[in-house]
Parts: sequence; C-alpha cells; structure tokens
Amino acid sequence: MADTETIGEVLGDQEHRAAYVFDPAAEAPASTRPAKRRRLSKKHHVQSQKPKEKHAHQFQPLLNGLESNACLQLRQEAFLKSWSAVQDRIDGVLRETNQSTLEAVTAFVKECTVEITPSRIPSALIITGANMASQSLLFQQLSDSLQTRAEAKVVSMRSGDASNLKAALRKIILDVVANSSDSGGEQDLSLDNDGKRYLNYDLEALHSHLIRHPLPHVIVAFQDSEAFETGLLTDLILLFSSWLDRIPFKLLFGVATSVDLFQARLLKSTCQLLRGRQFDVEQADTIVEKIFKTAVAHVDAPLRIGPASLQMILSRQRDQAAGIPVFVSSLKYAYMCHFYTNPFSVLLADNADQVALQAEHLEVVRSMSSFRDHVETSLQDKALGHVRSLLENDNYLACQVREQLKLSRSWIRHSLRTLKLLMCHPGHDSKFTQLYVDLLSQGVGGEDQLSEFVSSTKRMDPVEMMSLLNQMVAVIKDGDSQAGLEGCEGDSDPSVTLLAEVVAGIQTLCREAEDAGSTLRSEYSGQHKIMRTTVIAQKVQLSQDAATLTQQDKAYTKLVDKTIEHLQVILKCARAEDVWLHEAWLYDFKTPHREVFLPRPRAVVQRALQRPHDYLACSCCDSSKDQIMPTLPATAILHHLYLETGSLINVADLWTAFYGIVGEDEVDGLDERTALVLFYRAISEMRVLGFVKPSRKKVDHIAKLAWL
Amino acid sequence: MAPRRKASPEPAKAAPVRQSTRKRTLAEKVAANSNQTDDKPAAQPSPAKRPRGRPTAASKQLQNENAAQKNKSIYDVPSDDDAVGGGGSNKDNKAETVADEVGVATTPKRKVKTQTSPVKASAGKGAITTPSRASRFTNGETPQWRRNDRSARKKSARALIERVVAGDASDEDEQEDLAHEIYDSSQDEEEEEELDEGAQGVQQIDESEGVATTPSKKPRGRQKKELYFAQNRPGASKTSSNTLASLELLTHEEYFSILHQSKEHHAGDIEYLQSWHTESFAQWSFELSEGFSICLYGYGSKRSLLHKFAKFLYDEAPDHETSKIVIINGYVRSTSIREMLGTIAGAVEPSHKLPAGNPSVMLDSLKALLSSHDVQITVVINSIDAIPLRRAGTQTILAQLASHPQIQLICSADTPDFPLLWDSGVRSAFDFVFHDCTTFAPFTVEIDVVDDVHELLGRKARRVGGKEGVTYVLRSLPENAKSLFRLLVGEVLLAIDEEGITGGENPGVEYRILYNKAVEEFICSSEMAFRTLLKEFHDHQMITSRKDVLGTELLSLPFRREELEAILEDLMS
Repeated sequence: MADTETIGEVLGDQEHRAAYVFDPAAEAPASTRPAKRRRLSKKHHVQSQKPKEKHAHQFQPLLNGLESNACLQLRQEAFLKSWSAVQDRIDGVLRETNQSTLEAVTAFVKECTVEITPSRIPSALIITGANMASQSLLFQQLSDSLQTRAEAKVVSMRSGDASNLKAALRKIILDVVANSSDSGGEQDLSLDNDGKRYLNYDLEALHSHLIRHPLPHVIVAFQDSEAFETGLLTDLILLFSSWLDRIPFKLLFGVATSVDLFQARLLKSTCQLLRGRQFDVEQADTIVEKIFKTAVAHVDAPLRIGPASLQMILSRQRDQAAGIPVFVSSLKYAYMCHFYTNPFSVLLADNADQVALQAEHLEVVRSMSSFRDHVETSLQDKALGHVRSLLENDNYLACQVREQLKLSRSWIRHSLRTLKLLMCHPGHDSKFTQLYVDLLSQGVGGEDQLSEFVSSTKRMDPVEMMSLLNQMVAVIKDGDSQAGLEGCEGDSDPSVTLLAEVVAGIQTLCREAEDAGSTLRSEYSGQHKIMRTTVIAQKVQLSQDAATLTQQDKAYTKLVDKTIEHLQVILKCARAEDVWLHEAWLYDFKTPHREVFLPRPRAVVQRALQRPHDYLACSCCDSSKDQIMPTLPATAILHHLYLETGSLINVADLWTAFYGIVGEDEVDGLDERTALVLFYRAISEMRVLGFVKPSRKKVDHIAKLAWL
Repeated sequence: MAPRRKASPEPAKAAPVRQSTRKRTLAEKVAANSNQTDDKPAAQPSPAKRPRGRPTAASKQLQNENAAQKNKSIYDVPSDDDAVGGGGSNKDNKAETVADEVGVATTPKRKVKTQTSPVKASAGKGAITTPSRASRFTNGETPQWRRNDRSARKKSARALIERVVAGDASDEDEQEDLAHEIYDSSQDEEEEEELDEGAQGVQQIDESEGVATTPSKKPRGRQKKELYFAQNRPGASKTSSNTLASLELLTHEEYFSILHQSKEHHAGDIEYLQSWHTESFAQWSFELSEGFSICLYGYGSKRSLLHKFAKFLYDEAPDHETSKIVIINGYVRSTSIREMLGTIAGAVEPSHKLPAGNPSVMLDSLKALLSSHDVQITVVINSIDAIPLRRAGTQTILAQLASHPQIQLICSADTPDFPLLWDSGVRSAFDFVFHDCTTFAPFTVEIDVVDDVHELLGRKARRVGGKEGVTYVLRSLPENAKSLFRLLVGEVLLAIDEEGITGGENPGVEYRILYNKAVEEFICSSEMAFRTLLKEFHDHQMITSRKDVLGTELLSLPFRREELEAILEDLMS
C-alpha cells in the first residue's frame, strides 16, 4: 500500500488506518482541543432527557415538503409516545414470561448448599428450546436475578468465549473477581496476601480471592451447552467438583434439545458429579402469541399492522426460528415506517384535535381510495349533501376526518370483541394470531365464513351450548385484560341480557326434559335422525327416520335459532381496509420490511452485474438485449463471461475474450494497457466478491466459486 | 429499502417528487425490478432473443418431431414390460433410449462403467449384444413416442456434430439451442456412464467454447444447479493451455498512472447513484437513533458514501462532545478487534487506556467506561465482511458492541454472501436493517488490485513494490547486503538471458553457486553470515526461493526484467 502514495495518489492517511475518530472540523492535533471533562454526576438526568434532544429534527417534512412544522413535530412525538407505550407493554410481557423460571432457578440455587450435596455440583438444566436469540435474554435475566436475590456471582459462558480449558478457567476467574471487586481486579488476582503468585487460570487464585471476599455461590452458566466441546465440559466439571469443597460452584446449562441428549454426551462418571434438575422455559411461540396480544392487537395500540405485513412477520418467526427480539424489531420498524412516511399519522397523536389539518392533508384525503369508497357508498345511500360537503368544504371534511378517527377506535374494540367471541367456540383450531390476521384481511360476517360456525353451534348439545354462551357473556362483560379490551359495565350490552336469558331458558328446559326422562335436543342435533338397519333377503337396508321431537325439544330449537340469529348479527365486522380513512391507522406494506430485514444480497449483486443499466440508467448500456456491451463496467463484462466458464477458468483466455469486447477492434475501443488495467480491477473485484479463487491446477488458471 | 421510497399510503402525487425524469425512471426501475426479482431466487439471465435465422429443413423437422414427441408423451401410455420400468418413468426411458442411440449412431463399442440400476445394465447389454431392440419390447409394438423421442435425439446429436465439424460454432441460434437442450437433457441423466468417444468429442468442443476463447455472448440456458454438477464432473473442465506469458503484467506504477489518465465513462451515473443514496441519510439517522444497526450491501465501494454519511451525522450532531463518530476500515489488513475497541475507548475518553487482553474483557471494560460517560458513539465500519473481520469471535464482539444502547453501528458489506457471517444470536444482537446501496463505485483503497491479481495468478511476492521498495529497503541495510543483492540481480539477469522466463517466474540461481560467488567477492566469509543477509531479503519478500526436482535450492527475484535492470543500475551507481 505504500506504493499508492509514492505514485502520488492523493489519499488521506485515514483510509489506511484500521480505526480512527472521525472529526472533520478538527484536523488540528488533539492537544489544541479543550480537555474533555468527565461528567459523571450529570449522567443520569442527561440520559433521560436525551432522546428528546436527539429527535429534534429527524423527521422530514412530507406532503412535498409542505407539511407544517407543527404537524411534523406532532408526528414525531406521536411516534415516540405510542411506541414507547407498546415497548413498555412488551417489556412487561417479557419480564413476566421468564419470571417463573427465574424464581424456580433462584430457589434451587439457594436451597442447594454444599452441606446437602457434598460431592455433587448442583446444576440447573434449563430447557430453552432451539431459539438461540432469546437465550441470551433469558440468561441475562437469570444472572441479574441470581446476583440480586441469591448474592451469587454469575459467569456467563458462550461456546465462542472459551475454546480450551485454560481460556475457560481464565474467563471464569476474571469474571468472578471483576464482578466482586470493583477496583483493580487484576492486581488482586495474581498476587496473594502473602505475595504468592498465581497463574491466571489457577483456581487457587479464585479460592484465595474468595477467602478475602466470601461468596455464597459461584455460578457458571453455559448458555449453549450443546456447542461446547464435550471434552472441555468434562474437564471443567471434573475440576469444579474437585474444588467444590473450597469454592461453592453451581452450574447452569442451557439445553436446546433435551436432558437425555445432554446426558448422553457426557461420560457416566462425569454425570455422576452433577446433581441436576430440569427447568422448562416458555417456548418462543407462546411468547410471541402473548406479545402479539399486548402489542399488536391491543386496543390502545394506535397503529394497526395490516394482515399482509403481519402474515409476513409471523411466518418469518415460524420459518426462520427468528427470536423474540426480531419480532419486536419488526413491529418497531412498522411503527417507524408509518410515522415517518405517512402524513396522517399525525392524527394518531393524543392531542391531534388541536392540530389544524393543512389543505394539503385534505387534498390527499380526497384522493384516498377509502375516501372514494366512502363517497360511493354515501351516494348509494343518497347522502348527496354529505358528499358535496366532503368534496368542497374543507372544514366539513376535517370534522368528518376527526369523527371518523373516533369511529375507528370503536371499530377496533368491536373487532377484538368479535374475535374473542369467535374464540369461545370450541371448534376453532387456529391461534389468536391467525384469527386476528384473518379478521383484518377478510372481516367477519360473510355467509360462508360463518357457516361453519353456525352449523357447528346448531349441532351443539345443551351443555355445550350453555358453556359457550356463558363464556361469551363473560367475554362481553369482562373483556380481555391482555389485549386491553375492557368489558361492558353490568348488563348494558343487549347481547348480555339476551344471551343470559337464553342460558336461563335452556337450563329450565333441561330440567323439564330431565323430569320427563328424556334428553334435550334440538332439531339440528345429530341424534334426531335414527338409522335403521333392516336385513331383508340377506341384504342390508338402511333407512332414516326423523325422531319425533318433544315439546321441550321444540322450545330448545327455537332458543337455538334465536341465539344463532343474534350471533349472526353481532358477529359482524368489516375488513380493516373497508373502513374509511384506514390509511391513517393501518400499516400494511410488505416491501420495506422484506428488504430491510430479509435482504437478498446475492440477487442484488448479481443483478447489478448482469444488468447494470437498472442502476446506472445510462444511455450507453441498455442491456435489454442481454448482450455484452463494451460500455458496461468491466466487472459486469467479466461477470457475463464468467457465467459461461467451466469450473476452471483460464485467465489468459478470459483476458483475450475481455479484450475482444473492449479492445481496439471495437468502436471507441481501448488500447491494450488501459484494457488490462480495467481487467485487473475487474478480476480483483471478482475475487473480493468471492467469485473466484486461485487455483494450482494449471498455470494462470483460477477456480470458479459461485454457480449463480 | 427506504420507507419513503416505497408505496406509502399517500397517493403518488404526495410522495416526494423527484424532479428529473431520469431519477424517476431509476426509482421506478429499482422498485419494479425488486418486485420482479423477489420471487425468483436467482435472477437468471433471460434466454436471449436473437433474430432467428431462416429455419433449415432439418431444424423444422426437428421442431416438429419435438412437438410430436411432447404430444405423444402426454397421450400415449408406454408399455410397461421393461426391466424395471414398472412405473414407466419417463426419465428412465429417455435415458435408456438415448444411451442406445449414441451407441448406435457413432460407435458400436461402449463401456458400461457402473451398473447402478438394472435399467442401465440392460440398456448397456442391449447395445452390446443385440443391436436390434426388438428383443426388449417382447410383444414387438414399440410405442411411437419413444421412437420419436429417439429420432429427435439422434438428429440433434447429428446436428450438433455437423455444426461443430463445419466450424459454425460462432453462429448459434435457436436451432442449436434446441439441439443442445435435447442433447443435454440426455447427457445429464447418464452421468455415471462414460461417454463414448464421439460424444465426448462433441462435449469437449462444447465446453472449450465456454472458456471463451471465442467469446460466445450468451449463457447456456441450463439449470443452475445442474450446471454445477456438470462442470464439476471429473474431466468436465477442459481449458486451453494458453498462458499469460506473452502478456506483460502490470506494475503498480503502470496501473495507477493509466488509471489516472483513463476516465470512467459512467462517472456521472455513479455520481448520481450516490447522490440518490444520500437522500436516505435522514432516514438512516432516524433508524440508527431508534437502536437499529444498519448494513449497506450491494455492488460497489460504499466507503465514500459512508464517509459522507459520517459527515452528515457530524453536521447534525448538536454537540460534538457527546456524540462521536469512529470509523473502522475493515479492509485494512492490520485491523484488529483490539485496535477497534481501543479507538472507541479513546473516543470516549482520550486519556483512557483499555487494559490489553482478551477482547471480551476489553469489551466489558469499554462498556463500563461508556456507562460512566454521557456519549453517543456512532461506529462506522467499512467492509464488515472483509477478511480481517471475518472471524466469528470478532463478529460476536461487534454484535455485543452494537447492542449497547450508547453505540450506534452502521456498516457496509461488499460480498454477496455476508449474511453467513452471523448466526441468529449474533444477528439479533446486531439488530440490523439492510439497505441496498449499490454504488458501482470502484474499490480504490479497499483492494490492492495489482497484488491481488498477481496473487490470484500465483505470482506472489511483489509486496516490496518494485524498484522503489527495494531501494528503500537496501538503503537501511549494510554495504555487503547491497553487494549481495547486486550480485544476485546480476546472476538472475544472466539466467534470464540464458533461459528465458518460464511460467511467469524468473529462473533461479543455485544457492551454492551464489554463496561461492559471494565468498569470492568478500561479501561474506561464512555461510552463517550469508544466511543472515538472505534472511533480511526474505523478510522483505525481495527474494523467492524454491527447490527444483532434485532438491537443489534455487534463489530468484520476484521482479520483472526491466525492474531488475533498473535496480541493478541503481545499485551500480
């Protein structure tokens, strides 16, 4: 690299430095700058108010830059406020989910003192499941709670941290010492009181440290126990057990598979040194379900994430075993996108009422597709005055918009209630998440959608029916605390009274039927048809007879009919996209998410090289004909040629071909040396991109690495 | 990519208008194409549409027969009395018939290398023992589609051979493609079988065409995964034995001087592309501030873009005391995790020295340092997937760094396979958002082009950098080292004159001979001293040594003749 400078390439020194502090203003040496003061005391309150400072001018004005500053500010605040509320709820869920495990483990650690198990190391085997990403969170929480509640020192080990015994021991000792004594852990470590020196991987050092700073528990946590080498684990366990009488070791193992497999990996003699207990952790998908309820479906969540986005986020969880943090990030990004790009997100702010909508806002409202739909339905309803005002009167429109937003909140409540009611039915088999996505995308209430529900409800026997109705009443009354759905006070909801009446009716009918010695059934229940089997001339004849219905049965049938009718009325919910002005509170885009979280770099690089025109938009190399144009970037030409080669590439031939394309024979061709320079550059880029590598098979040959 | 760029709920006219029409076309194209490529995992070149030549009679017939074959294969049920063909699997039948066909068409003698399946075995036997196939279809009714299939293949093979023999290879058109397709489909299915000579001849020519001695401008329409297996078949890769011996390779000097003279004719477009990415800066800074890390990927150097972004952040920052930017150049060979952490610590508190040691320990103390200071550090990493940073341990440390609330991380990745660097744990710690930042900007400092290419070609050790480098090194060495080097240069030049350059490397001088001469000239008195001098050269990679077939040690110099002459002149003066 020294050469580049000798030739006079004007390059700053910075490009060749591995790392440096970027400071364009002060090219002057650091000494001229005022000495930096430490601001220890200010730390806390400064940090707490920092976000506000930072966000001072981050959002960009929308509406062609015509958005007013007030709107912009409000949008930004709305984002901060709404997301932090959601984040708090998510954090709460995360704290709770691992709570039981944490408590159990802490209790285990506390109760296992050396006296109980003189020769065995107490070990907690924590079954975490395959999700690596959520493991670290769990272990973080574990170590926090153990350190505070059991006064233990926790050393977290990942397989990457320690490749051999020495490194592992060194880390354990260092961590324990660093954890327990804040000042100068290292000097402490190597020198004993009597001036004895220890090697830094000698547990004796730890022992002497513990004599000075006694600790009830020293806990070593192996986060991904499967990834540790068996030999290393065995050695460590052996060592720990031999020091157990002096150092109070406890072990935590994160087990992704099962205890049996874990045990099978270790020697029997090693296993006998452990006194293990198994702890199960809540699996990731149930946590996702919970987060989904509190963050996505929650009534107070200002933003509805649309079905397409949700489906994508959820399937990513399933297909890629992505962790909880990924799920949360996806949600957060949706919020960010919405508030950053959508001028109407300003309406989601708490004090949106005070904001004057700009004329541009209203203009945009008028061109929304949901506005068009609304106008059309209004026209069908002959509300001509309304439509005219909407189109011409800005003030009227602004009022309507606000009105509509309030209505949208009630739509959300209604949709959630509908969903909960549907979930009361024992026949539903999908998860809350899936039902929610379906509800957003399709709504509820279509004939075919409910037919399954209706027919199975009709066939229910009285007991099932009563439990269903009771559940429904409970749902309407109590709501769902997780999703923030509050219930209806008392019997204010007509459904509650009606359903309660029906339940009471069924109860009396049941009693009557019991008295009459029959079982209550409706016209729809399966048993009212009786199958008769008759054997006539060695042939079986099947015939059906309608069983006669008693008085009570008929009354019951009537009740069922009434219930179904009512349910069909209340179980109705429009699709999210059919709600007017859903653009303000519904975010349903796949594109930024897919590109931002699931990039396809290979396709991107390939496309850049195959069709540079897509990016460069230059006039010279429109590659629509898929030909190699001499004007293409050299690497692109080489890539085209590369695609045609075999697994071994003769560079001499490649050069000939390259020169044949860009060389002097062509119009505006390059002379050989210039072409060679381009060739050099292109081929070195191919190497950096990982397409070729040196080959020793033949002189001047390189090996192909990518079959694209 | 950018929320702003995508369809947002607001109608088109409210979207930020890009003034120039060219801008719009690009934006649309990028959007359109990203949609288009979404579903296909690999954007493959669409088959070329070329003006179709006048179809010859043969090709017409061929096409007809091909069509006929398709039709028949749908409607006719093959008779199932083949050896294994119980299911009458179409493929098996095809393979079988083709195997026979090739055998019959060219040479009757063929070997069956492995008899993996009874079908194949029977096919082989059939070809060897009875040329007539009547025996295999016992009831004598050969299904017609099979006959068609076979004859189509026969014709396509013949067409291929004819075309190759006629030297007509450059003018490929659809007919030949079709012929190839028919022929290839059979080839791929009989991989275990040795092709007989005739067919191999065809194949050979076919492959060597691909090596671009004659640059055919069109990739074959084969399936990609099949291509891999086809090309990695033993003996599949036949390349010419041309070498670059006749070509004078570039030196650093020449490379850079030419590079400076020549101008990039896409410079304007590249510039524009860059400016288009800069429009996302505000969005990026928003994403960073929300705790995401950003990874920019795509073809082209993103260094200057990141530099601009760093400038942007710098200008935006209200207080340079509390928000610092640290730039890390991953491509610099000496980059180490310790240096990075040290620099970051230095940004937090210039007087603070991180205790050297295990990177994870350093990271812990860095975190402790951060928590006691009110600073926000933005770490900008150029080429996070560069070789020095590729170790798993390094990436884990970086991820932990990135997940610290006071650290924001933005990085660029150059290779197309960079996601393989991170397992799910590391990746979720990074919490990346990715942006396609294809810049088409040339890699200037990231790649040491000349050295890289020479290394790729197996001509290493140009590290000292020609004449200047040598002079520079020699200046700091004692007089007798200079004399020894002069001696060696003279000897090598003599040898070049006598033997010429073979295989791109200079001829060597025998170690013994050189030693004797050095003693004669009083350069050194013992072999020990001689070795010490040589070691100095070796350390600076100014000499190369290798052993010949007999085990004699040969010393040589990794410079071109002109350079050697210049060096010699220098030393003599």
